[in-house]
Amino acid sequence: MEILVCIKQVPDDSVEVHLTEEGKPDLANITPVVNAFDTYALEMAARLKEAGEGEITALCIGGEEARNSLKNCLAVGADHAYLVQEDRFDGSDSRGISHILMCAAKKIEEDTGKKFDLIFCGKEATDAALGQVGAELSEMLGTGVITNVIEVEFAEGQVCAKQETEEGYRLIETASPCVLTVTKPDYDPRYPTIKNKMAARKKPIGTIKAQDLSVLEPEKTGEGGAFVKTLKLYEPPKKEAGIKIQEETAQDSALKAVAMMADAKVF
Amino acid sequence: MAKLEINQEKITDLSELIKICPFGAMEEKDGKLEINSACKMCRLCVKKGPEGAVTYVEDQKAEEIDKSLWNGIVVYVDHVDGKIHPVTYELIGKAKELAKKISHPVYALFIGSDIKEKSRELLHYGVDQVFLYDDPELSRFKIEPYTAVFEDFIQKQHPSAILVGATTVGRQLAPRVAARMKTGLTADCTILEMNENTDLSQIRPAFGGNIMAHITTPNHRPQMATVRYKVMNAPERMEEEQGEIVECSIEKDKLKTNVEVLDIVLKEKEKFIESADVLVVAGRGVKKEEDLLMLEELADLLGGQLACTRPVAENGWLDAKRQVGLSGRTVRPKLIITCGVSGAIQFVAGMDHSDQIIAINKDEKASIFKVAHYGLVGDLYEVIPQFIEKIKESQGA
Repeated sequence: MEILVCIKQVPDDSVEVHLTEEGKPDLANITPVVNAFDTYALEMAARLKEAGEGEITALCIGGEEARNSLKNCLAVGADHAYLVQEDRFDGSDSRGISHILMCAAKKIEEDTGKKFDLIFCGKEATDAALGQVGAELSEMLGTGVITNVIEVEFAEGQVCAKQETEEGYRLIETASPCVLTVTKPDYDPRYPTIKNKMAARKKPIGTIKAQDLSVLEPEKTGEGGAFVKTLKLYEPPKKEAGIKIQEETAQDSALKAVAMMADAKVF
Repeated sequence: MAKLEINQEKITDLSELIKICPFGAMEEKDGKLEINSACKMCRLCVKKGPEGAVTYVEDQKAEEIDKSLWNGIVVYVDHVDGKIHPVTYELIGKAKELAKKISHPVYALFIGSDIKEKSRELLHYGVDQVFLYDDPELSRFKIEPYTAVFEDFIQKQHPSAILVGATTVGRQLAPRVAARMKTGLTADCTILEMNENTDLSQIRPAFGGNIMAHITTPNHRPQMATVRYKVMNAPERMEEEQGEIVECSIEKDKLKTNVEVLDIVLKEKEKFIESADVLVVAGRGVKKEEDLLMLEELADLLGGQLACTRPVAENGWLDAKRQVGLSGRTVRPKLIITCGVSGAIQFVAGMDHSDQIIAINKDEKASIFKVAHYGLVGDLYEVIPQFIEKIKESQGA
């Protein structure tokens, strides 16, 4: 079983992001981390591999600093890692990113002579939170897709996954190859052991450049290739504060609040 | 993308020119110069090569499409077994408003099996035409056949814009369709406005709601957007029907798929926080898991549901389905009472459209007070028992 896990490096989502004077997100002092949903995807892939056999390849598009994220992936289940590093790809929209991922997946398949059975992505990234890449990638690869996966089984070329929905879940079966997008399962991603960390440090991270991608259509990538254009970023206006209730004791406050709310027919 | 143009006649010394490129992106082929994909657009060859041999051509404006050929605003009808998801009506309301601005019709696209009768309901909300693809093969949502139907519809109707509910189904169907139709998509829009040139202004939160992005799809049609449930307002249901139902069909072989939906399991008894009129939200101020019982009692008294913030869900005290916020659910209840919630922006973005917001927090500087209609500075352990008592009193009276 060959598994590809696509990861994105994002700014730590527990930190509030503001805009610089130029109107760009100010990410200079925010630690980059692997997108949380991608870590769930990698964990799910690792468990699947451990239950059967096979290898996991982690793939990321980003700058030099993303190597660190890939190292972390190598310490928690990934066997191989590739970084697509190309300045020209900056500013790609989700279609452009999906296209680059598709090209990179094909290139890795060409190099290794092995086809991916399962392609994992997080259900969305915590920064842009569009959740489009998984489904777009599946269209470009011409495979099926199951989104919001919380459990997965794989046997004899058949994938069976539990998809979380608003109402409960759906049990979906399809043939591989297939793209799976992962949401928070019942378990947490593992922490790397010291031993695995040391081993990961020695593993190579392959670099992929635009010229390595035989099926790349450069006009689909970068800012110029984006179909959707971001005209402006702005910080949302602060809401006006409502009525504040702060009496001597909490009991008085509660009584006053209940009375006010009763008047306003809130209850 | 900008590109380099080669004028072979102006090349005096081919090998000298090739040497200029630091990336080895130039090569000779049959006595002619070619630039390969290793090119980094550094333009050294333009500057240092013989004049006019290599010229830099600025971003060519993509051929502009004729937007007048794309007409109508479509709402995808989200449903399970013909039961229409209410986000559909909310989007019809928005579509009517957008369409009015540019005098376009409003369409609904209803894909399923045995749905003809059910589609009449849509006519009570002011849709001009309901396009109906009713086929046993389409009984349950499967991405490939549904994408094929969407493609068929778009090719025949050429709609200008498509609105899809950001449900589990919508959030996979919309990107698949966008990739198929080679057009732009913006997910989870919170504000949609129509420009006179028929470009849709799409505004959505990014970076946990700290930043809003204003996005357009200036040169592709149809322009696609998804919107979460309870972000837009549903129009009033009209007594009489209006508009027409257009029955459509598609070749059977386009509906093939190897996806099988084995089972749809509904969570039993559990109500969903999105559909609750009243929510009581537990935040980090709740110290122990048992203390949730007190909050639950308050919720029960008000006929509401218990919800929580991310830390509480991460503790495993409540199911992640009860989590409010950008990484959880967006809610819009008539009344929301937050207990010990500080009001992180990612939480607030998931609830700030609630009709009435009551916040209880010890810290008078807590940012939740900026969004609350009533802010109660106090310890929830003292305040909530009082609330419960007073409400019991008023209900008993």
